[in-house]
Amino acid sequence: MKTIHLMRRALAALRGLVTRRGLATLATLATLATLILSPALAFAQEFVKVEGKVADEVPAGPFVAIAYGFIWIAILSYVVYIARGVGRVRGELEEVRRKLDAAGKR
Amino acid sequence: MRALGPGFVAATLLAAVGFLVVPWLILAAPLEPVMGFVQKIFYFHVPCAIMLFLSTFACAAGSIAYLFKGSERGDWLAAAAGELGVVFGACVLVSGPLWGRKAWGVYWQWDARLTSSLLLFLILIGYMLARRYGGPGGRKLSAALALFAAVDVPLVYKSVDIWRTVHPQTTVVPKLDPRMRPAFWSAFFLMTLVWSVLLALRYRLEAARAEVATLKLDTEDLLEAGS
Repeated sequence: MKTIHLMRRALAALRGLVTRRGLATLATLATLATLILSPALAFAQEFVKVEGKVADEVPAGPFVAIAYGFIWIAILSYVVYIARGVGRVRGELEEVRRKLDAAGKR
Repeated sequence: MRALGPGFVAATLLAAVGFLVVPWLILAAPLEPVMGFVQKIFYFHVPCAIMLFLSTFACAAGSIAYLFKGSERGDWLAAAAGELGVVFGACVLVSGPLWGRKAWGVYWQWDARLTSSLLLFLILIGYMLARRYGGPGGRKLSAALALFAAVDVPLVYKSVDIWRTVHPQTTVVPKLDPRMRPAFWSAFFLMTLVWSVLLALRYRLEAARAEVATLKLDTEDLLEAGS
């Protein structure tokens, strides 16, 4: 009799959970548990011993080459930018000269 | 305008000499035991950062002269130095993360040194944008921005001492191994020369632009009066 009574109580509790509110609570708890436990699950891997020195996975050469290349390209680009500015100023001076020539003021 | 010719030749020659000689000295310098070959970025990264600071101070000095004395020459100096600040700031912000990727495992950390350096770069970008697109009051607005940039420089420099950071401390250069010093100081000297030549060229260009603008207005007045 006692077992039947306990089963009835469990079924009643389950019916309570099946309501919309109960399902929302369960979903929230499941999401929270997943979020909290996921990093732990990610780290729960086996560590393997490696003999000898492990080679660098990221080679340094390309990083140094890119850094130096970028610096020199930036400086040379700036020289080109200044040269183009000088060209524009020269063009404007020529325009002024042409206007003066046309007006016969020189 | 003709005087700009030798300047361009000098800049190109310096860049060519620097490209050939300084990397050779840097390669000849001993390897740093912890970071290895990637530490070679240090020899140009630090001089570029110093040029960024110099540019910012020159930009602020010119801006002060323009704001408080109305000096046109100050404005030209500020314009030239502001642009150089952006160029060297870009060099610092590209070479640094490349070094960091190997040394720290990540390109970027939001720590005090990196964040304040990025802020300085962004203020200098803002300076250029305000100058170009700010309208009639743009030059004054940009001059005020240059003062904020100058205030950020000590913050960038001392950030590694004030806050906990992954970036190397300011004591790295004074405590540099004597065998690494020739490479560092030659790179620093070269970068300073390049910076000085570029600043002089850009200053002259700004002065020439201003003179041509005045000349154009005078010519139009003259032509109108004559017609």
